[in-house]
Parts: sequence; C-alpha cells; structure tokens
Amino acid sequence: MELATGWFMNAERQEAGELARGLRRRDPALIDDLIQRYQYRLFRYLVMITGSRADAEDLFQETWIRVLEKGHQYDHRWKFETWLFSIARHLAIDFRRRRQPQSLDELVQPTGTNRPLELEDTATSSAFEQVFQGEESASVANALAHLPPSYREVLTLRFHEDLQLEEIARVVDTPLSTVKSRLYRGLTMLRECLKDFYL
Amino acid sequence: MREDMHARALELIDKMQVEGLALEERSELEAHLESCADCRTRSRETELALRVLRSAAPRLDGALVLRTQMRARVRALEIMEGAARMRALWISCTLSWVLGVVSAPLLWRGFEWIGHRWAISRPVWIAGFALAWVAPAVVAAAVIAWRQAGRTVTSGE
Repeated sequence: MELATGWFMNAERQEAGELARGLRRRDPALIDDLIQRYQYRLFRYLVMITGSRADAEDLFQETWIRVLEKGHQYDHRWKFETWLFSIARHLAIDFRRRRQPQSLDELVQPTGTNRPLELEDTATSSAFEQVFQGEESASVANALAHLPPSYREVLTLRFHEDLQLEEIARVVDTPLSTVKSRLYRGLTMLRECLKDFYL
Repeated sequence: MREDMHARALELIDKMQVEGLALEERSELEAHLESCADCRTRSRETELALRVLRSAAPRLDGALVLRTQMRARVRALEIMEGAARMRALWISCTLSWVLGVVSAPLLWRGFEWIGHRWAISRPVWIAGFALAWVAPAVVAAAVIAWRQAGRTVTSGE
C-alpha cells in the first residue's frame, strides 16, 4: 500500500515537473491541452467569483494568456489548479478595479494595510440563472446570489474543486484560520438559503 | 448535557464536510445520529445543500474555448518572436562591446593624433574619445527604452 502511494506521489511530482518545464518553454500544445482539461473548472470558478457570464468569459481568456506569459513562475510543488485559480482571482480583482475605479476603497479591507483584496459583490440571482443549467438552476442561482462572494469563493474551491484548506488559503491569499471560518459560515448560509429547496 | 451533545454533533456535521473527522469523532457522531432525529435531519440538509451546490454547472461556450486556444497560440508566437529578437539584440550588444574594448586603444591613438595635429587641448579630445566610445551604447539603450515604452502603452499596462 505504502509502495503504491509512494509510486503515485512520485508520478504526480514528475508530471508537475514536466508541466513546469512545458510552461517555461511556453509550449502551445501544452497550453491547448491545459485549456481543454481545466476549461469547466476555471469557468465555474470565474462565474462564482464574478457572478457574471460576460465577465467570466473575458477573464477566462485573459487567465490563459496570463498563464502563458507567466508560465515560468509556476511552482511545481503546488497543484496547477491552485496557481491557475490564483491568477484568475487576481485578474478578476484587477478587472473590477479598472472598471470601477471609484469603488477601489471597497475592495480593500478597511483594517490593516496588508490584508488581501476582496472581491466585490455584484452578483444577482438573475445573473446566476443565466449561467446555470438544469431544473435546480433557479434555486441554486438564488441561493448563490445571497452568499457574499468571499464565502461563495471558498465554498466553490472546497466543494467543487476539492482543494485542500492550505491550497484554498494560497489561492485567496488569506490565513488558514480565515478560510476555515469562511467555510463554516458559508456552509451555514448555504444551508439556510437552500432550506426552501429541500423542505 | 443533552444540549451539549446536540451542539457537539452539529459542530461535527459541519467539520466532517469542511475539515474531515478523526476516527473517534466519526464514531461519536454516528452514535449520536442513530439516536437523534433532529441531528440526522441537519446532517441530511447539509449533504443536500452541498449536493445542490455541486450540481451547479455553468454552460461553457465551445467557441470561447476555441477562441482562447487561438489567442494563446498567437500570443505564444509573439512571445517567441520577441525572445528571438531579444536574443539577437543581446548577441549584437555583446559583439559591439567586445569590438569596442578591442578598438579602444586604436580609437584613443586616433583622437590623440587629431588633438596634436589641430592643437586641441587634451581634455577636449579625451571628452571626444569618451563620447565616441559611449555613443553607440547610449543610442542603442535609448532605442530599446523607446520601443519598450511604446509596447507598454500599446498593451495598456
């Protein structure tokens, strides 16, 4: 069992190393493959943090261009998706800042100068309804629109993307304790929002 | 006491989803859930809420993916061409520096001869030599800086 785990981890590390080398070379075929592989996950994450299909589409393209340009900065000790989501998040914040420079103050946490930037909540129920499919879309859209983006974000990273808590902390550039408290609070809010759905 | 058990069970229900439970915690929770309908309902609600969240699947336009792949290829090409240009520039800079160093004594003697021939004072012809020696590098640096500034404005950074 231990041997199998060791072999698996070794293979995973080797794959991450090859990925890092490919990104440094800016291999177009590798980027094509990565876009194919991570398209749904990245788009879902962008939709969750922006609450807008149009913004998510713009940022989807920009994120991959940034991956190509900054490929040499990828640290293969971390999962690729952790780095990918972190890039997407920074772009989303820049995007919001460029679009609404007057609301820059709202993006920065009021206390402490070193606190990371937060995403602004502009999502509405209808914005999510346009994005999600299936019978449950209206209830899910309504529930998600009621969640503040910082909670929506960590819930997505944890329960959609199955990232570890440390990986989430790295993506959102926030202490682990804050990530945990957001997850607990977000879970409670989600349960409350969806109460009508399963009653 | 019973209230404490409920509170603990509710805490464990959320912890199981967020952080995962240790073996003892899991058995403790399972034992409580067997005997407590309220907490069972809460556990079911939590699982349902997460199932609903996981079912949220945004539609992704296939054309967007193709467009993105195309843009990435074009950008990769641009970066590679830029890198090739920079490589050529570095090679020519290095060659020019080597030639400059090698030709410096000759150039010095030339300026010295001109100084004697036309009775130019020593500080003036030395300044002329320094200018002639440094001028190509200054011009090259200015051109690079100008082009770099142009690129930054174009990309809107």
